[in-house]
Amino acid sequence: MSFAFKLLTKERKLEECKPLYEPKYAAQRKKLEEMLKVVEKATETGLIVDEEKCVGCANCVVSCPVHAEKDPYGAGMGRGVGLPDPILRIEDGVVRVVNLSLCRRYGENRTLCVVCRENCPNDAISFLED
Amino acid sequence: MICTGCSCLCDDIAIRDGKILNACRKGVKLFNVKRAIPMVNSKPSSFEEAIDRAKRIVSTANKLVVFGLDTIPCEAQQKAIELAEAKNAAIDDCSSFCLGDFVELILKGELPTATLEEVRDNAYVIVYWGSNPYQSLPRHMSRFTYYPRSGKRQRGYEEDRYLVVVDVRLSETAKLAKKGGKFIMGNDADVIDSFLKALNGRAGKYPEVAAIIKEMQKADFNVIFGGLGLKYGLRGDYSRFIEMVEKLNEFTRVVFIPAGFHANMRGFNELMYRKTGVVNAYDFSSNERLTFSEAVKKADAALIIGSNPAKSLPSWIAKKLAQIDTIIVDPSQSLTSKIAKVVIPTAISGIDQGGTMVRSDGVSVELKPIREGVTDAEVLSLLMEVV
Repeated sequence: MSFAFKLLTKERKLEECKPLYEPKYAAQRKKLEEMLKVVEKATETGLIVDEEKCVGCANCVVSCPVHAEKDPYGAGMGRGVGLPDPILRIEDGVVRVVNLSLCRRYGENRTLCVVCRENCPNDAISFLED
Repeated sequence: MICTGCSCLCDDIAIRDGKILNACRKGVKLFNVKRAIPMVNSKPSSFEEAIDRAKRIVSTANKLVVFGLDTIPCEAQQKAIELAEAKNAAIDDCSSFCLGDFVELILKGELPTATLEEVRDNAYVIVYWGSNPYQSLPRHMSRFTYYPRSGKRQRGYEEDRYLVVVDVRLSETAKLAKKGGKFIMGNDADVIDSFLKALNGRAGKYPEVAAIIKEMQKADFNVIFGGLGLKYGLRGDYSRFIEMVEKLNEFTRVVFIPAGFHANMRGFNELMYRKTGVVNAYDFSSNERLTFSEAVKKADAALIIGSNPAKSLPSWIAKKLAQIDTIIVDPSQSLTSKIAKVVIPTAISGIDQGGTMVRSDGVSVELKPIREGVTDAEVLSLLMEVV
């Protein structure tokens, strides 16, 4: 189970499981590779942005607790984010992931924060665990 | 720079490394419009030829109708009103079928109002009634209403805001209200009736309004944003809604702001109100109210500025515009520019031309263009020469 979770967080790779590459498990390996295709699109914190669905409302940028704490007179107050490297920023009308190292889901002391996803009215943000 | 994509008029738009920062999709669309070129009788011409032909049409027209105007600055709107008055023409904008009625009620003092900054700093209960800002004003909630942590509302949406949506469908905004507030799906008149009954201590069709009133009483500032759904739901009779807002204000403070229209619709409404006492749809030949859809039936020429009625209005209007001498003054190629006799391309407000616009809450905003182009006011001044 631990290995499976690490596959999702990109800490381990499928190739590291040697028995899986034995001919008798070829079918299972193929299925797993298909299932893990979505991981390639995800960022290090498992955040996936569907740019087709996003309209750039910036609800995620303003509701982000890290932005509110680090940029109280910018994103915290509803204005465009003033941090040089914010977690999320609205660029060309859609939200883009800029700097995930600030995200509460990143690093050793991570928490399963889902504020940006919960406040997206169009489900443009999702996480791998969804 | 100021974004003129909608009536939020966001003032924090920046361009860095070729990217447009902070603007929503509606704002970014302005940068990507397919620009119009001068045309006479569907053939490319010089700018001067297009102006000359337009001047001839304006000077010889017996029944001119002027329409559009909601995406251009107040200075150009003022010139359009002057031109319409001098020509005894009919003038109207999109507000006659949009939220002009609500702006008129506010200007007449029949509904209390406030600025969006006051909402951002103070509002607790935020009601979107017949409005889905996620689509019509994408940054409305994040910039001014539900999400900002500002003034008295430092704890943001988690504890310091209460979202209510009244709509006929589960819109994107309604989904948010279901998570952290109340969503009422139903007939506007019934919901108003339920509010009035609850204020008198009785239960109406929607008993959940009592909980909303209770939340409103917790704060000294609440706001109702009325959209097109509310306007068409009430079918022109706003008396019960005004009564409801008055009654609510006996218990707590509730203000009203219209939500969801073009960048400078309110600017035109205010200019017209000062000039004629009504906010839109006015015929200077008879000094009576006349909507565009009525005026165009008898018109022999139309001057369309910053709008695309052939796309947004019924097809018979497009057919009529194709039959008469139609002049379009607009930056972008559109269905109207395809059927017009004369196309005069102008600058995009906020990008190529400056001026003043009025936000949905009545606050004037000075545009900060990044380039210079032919302004709508300059084109209208040239047309005024023959009036």
